[in-house]
Amino acid sequence: MRVKRWKKHSILPGFGLSLGFTTLYVSLLVLLPLAMIFVNTASMSWAGFWAAVTEPRVLASYRLSFGASFAAACINVVFGVLIAWVLVRYSFPGKRIIDGLVDLPFALPTAVAGIALTTLYTETGWVGQFLPFKVAFTPIGIIIALTFIGLPFVVRMVQPVLQNFDQETEEASAILGAGRLQTFWKVIVPEIIPAALTGFALAFARALGEYGSVVFIAGNMPMKTEITPLMIMTKLEQYDYEGATAIAAVMLIISFVLLLFINGVQWWTNRKYTHS
Amino acid sequence: MSIQIKEVSKTFGSFQALKNINLDIQTGELVALLGPSGSGKTSLLRIIAGLEEADNGVILFGNEEMTHIRTTERKVGFVFQHYALFKHMTVFDNVAYGLKVRSKRERPSKKDIKRKVTELLSLVKLESFADRYPSQLSGGQRQRVALARALAVEPKVLLLDEPFGALDAKVRKELRRWLRRLHDEFHITSIFVTHDQEEALDVADRIVVMNEGRIEQIGSPEEVYEQPNSPFVYDFLGNVNVFHGRLENGKWRNGDQSDAEQQALAYVRPHDLVIEREKPTEDAVQARVMHVHAVGRTVHIELKEEGAERFLEAELPKEQYRELDLQTGETVFIRPNQLKVFIPADYSI
Amino acid sequence: MAGHISLQYGSKQVDKKTAREPLLVRILLITVALAFLFLFLLLPLAAIFIKAFEQGIGLYIASITDPDAVSAIKLTLLVVVLTVPLNALFGITAAWAITKFEFKGKSLLVTLIDLPFAISPVIAGLVFVLLFSTHGLFGDFLFQHDIKILFAVPGIVLATLFVTFPFVARELIPLMQAQGSAEEEASLTLGANGWKTFWLVTLPNIKWGLLYGVILCNARAVGEFGAVSVVSGHIRGLTNTMPLHIEILYNEYQFSAAFAVASLMSILAIVTLILKNIVEWKSGQHG
Repeated sequence: MRVKRWKKHSILPGFGLSLGFTTLYVSLLVLLPLAMIFVNTASMSWAGFWAAVTEPRVLASYRLSFGASFAAACINVVFGVLIAWVLVRYSFPGKRIIDGLVDLPFALPTAVAGIALTTLYTETGWVGQFLPFKVAFTPIGIIIALTFIGLPFVVRMVQPVLQNFDQETEEASAILGAGRLQTFWKVIVPEIIPAALTGFALAFARALGEYGSVVFIAGNMPMKTEITPLMIMTKLEQYDYEGATAIAAVMLIISFVLLLFINGVQWWTNRKYTHS
Repeated sequence: MSIQIKEVSKTFGSFQALKNINLDIQTGELVALLGPSGSGKTSLLRIIAGLEEADNGVILFGNEEMTHIRTTERKVGFVFQHYALFKHMTVFDNVAYGLKVRSKRERPSKKDIKRKVTELLSLVKLESFADRYPSQLSGGQRQRVALARALAVEPKVLLLDEPFGALDAKVRKELRRWLRRLHDEFHITSIFVTHDQEEALDVADRIVVMNEGRIEQIGSPEEVYEQPNSPFVYDFLGNVNVFHGRLENGKWRNGDQSDAEQQALAYVRPHDLVIEREKPTEDAVQARVMHVHAVGRTVHIELKEEGAERFLEAELPKEQYRELDLQTGETVFIRPNQLKVFIPADYSI
Repeated sequence: MAGHISLQYGSKQVDKKTAREPLLVRILLITVALAFLFLFLLLPLAAIFIKAFEQGIGLYIASITDPDAVSAIKLTLLVVVLTVPLNALFGITAAWAITKFEFKGKSLLVTLIDLPFAISPVIAGLVFVLLFSTHGLFGDFLFQHDIKILFAVPGIVLATLFVTFPFVARELIPLMQAQGSAEEEASLTLGANGWKTFWLVTLPNIKWGLLYGVILCNARAVGEFGAVSVVSGHIRGLTNTMPLHIEILYNEYQFSAAFAVASLMSILAIVTLILKNIVEWKSGQHG
């Protein structure tokens, strides 16, 4: 009967069963395991924790992970908006297939993507041989892998916004004397900014945590091309569970901040444009 | 500025939206394009605005040919049915938009823009709403912002596409009075599209009735209402009773006609039907009173023609209705006071 | 947060005069977009198949029929068979609880369900190490009862469950939210009981969304690398899933063999994309 008080009445059955199962499943599979990170971190001394997360090799990995993820997410915003635009506004042969192919990075196992990209971008690879600089086993290679895995986010966020975009506002802008470029910057861009920003954050968050597609192309040289998830892996292989957990705690907090940011963007857009 | 439309046609795929349209609009006129959906009225408006290109034909503003001039340079004001306001801009920025996007040379100073926008907002009675976003306004307020935005660029021609279509009945009536007053004050050549005959009759100087991509009739509200030149116009502007009969020596006689060649239809407005107890003429129509709707000054009476499965509608002033003392179920005689005869064969295609 | 975007429905074609750029601009934009997609999507995909067959069809067949490869394929299938139905069941119950009832703490629950998307797969593996390793929370208990979870199949299944668990729920929640409860309520007033209502009314309404979620869940379960890599122990023939097998072959410079196994997974990815598009098209028609 306690249930009744915090739940509004409904004639539909199965509330206790479905919520009970859901809560149990989430608790056992997500809450308990994730809590381990914080329990284990809390049992470390502050000095030990600080030393583990500020080790020079780890610091270098933060710089690399953040820098490469940021660069990849930026590339994805520019090309993601362009691809969404082209797919929504123009027609060309093979458009449907291309549209379906955009989701490939979600469907292709990361390890497969990793070895394929590495093969293409080594110095003798199909693409690498034409480039004047080294790509594989450098931060550039990491950026390429992260661009690959983050590609669908911006496209799929911006596409529906463009599809539902009221064409009459573009016509209104043209009638009021604005050129096509003015209309794009003043009328269309402000409408797609929230979606593009959300797509950026999703791509960025995914890139920060990505492991499979990066380890092959990165070369994993200490201080140079080690990403943060790889640092966790390395610590685990050395049975340094404390170090691994400390770094994981830092990454988790960053993930939460990003989640908050994404929710913030959505809240801000809703408040500004739809509520009175 | 006057507008001339010469021989304009337009097809979308296999659908012919406009068939050889010719129309002259005088400077300062307020013209309604009236017709059912699919009649081509919106296409015509969009072609005038340059939003759509005619397949052939010519559009002139004054003496200047506009046919191939881009929308951006036509300097028309356009009001959309669903407002098409910029969601992410405040009311002020929406109205100022047309001035702000001008090239540096033609752009007014910030101060002038502010003055102009404030002036327009007070014209549409929304001074205190300058900082709001469109989502925070009611439908009627949004449409007024859209109108202020269109007027900001001082257009020579104002085009309105079903401007009150998305509003509820009361706001609609208010806004159309207001549009009429606005027009009387500024005398901008205006064309508005509507499918609401009452709206057209109420606001326009002249009405262009359109049907299936053609112009059916052009005339003042009185003309198109009193003297419709086709069954379509008769039917579209107000309720109408249709009597089947034939022509004899130039005079219409009631009675079903088996020979389609000789068939003639008489169109009679409900208020032109006279109800009598005594049989006035040989061919008077006998009908039974089915229902009386007596709310308001005018009484609506629903009748059924005897011997035919046709329903008729009559309108009487209340006093006359009281005098007659009609009862439901009673049989009466009806006589058209005024009628217009169309021979169906002339209008069949 | 990984690999997830909701269903979208058919696109409307825009073709209005003012809302168009000059032909040259259009061609330029299309070219740039296609060049980018060619470089980043098509080329890697093509490379996998070409590299797989580079040393001839004989080696290709030998690579995918190698006992270690076969056992990796079997293990991957086992993991899929265990995780996908469980997560589908969870997705349905969670969506039912969340969309059909109003209760406090709902938004917290929704956030928790989303959480695995926001977490690095390596961390997803790590948490199970912290639970089940000899120094872990249940380490002593497991050791005393001689149960192996880490570096064994159960660990792989748990890690995969963790990373794939939001897919079905995330798909069904917005769908069922949009559909509302009116049809279920009508069914109950007509005398059907809860289970009947679910089978006859709810399930037919959500079948495409459910299938869509299952397809995405399946793709991720097959291809998960980071999380599984942490908990598997890389024991050949025993705890190697297909992605881990690929890694080992690649690191041993058996490139053709690595790409041969990779090509199998790529075919699965392509089938996933095709199915996904069919489901999107179907749900666009019915929903």
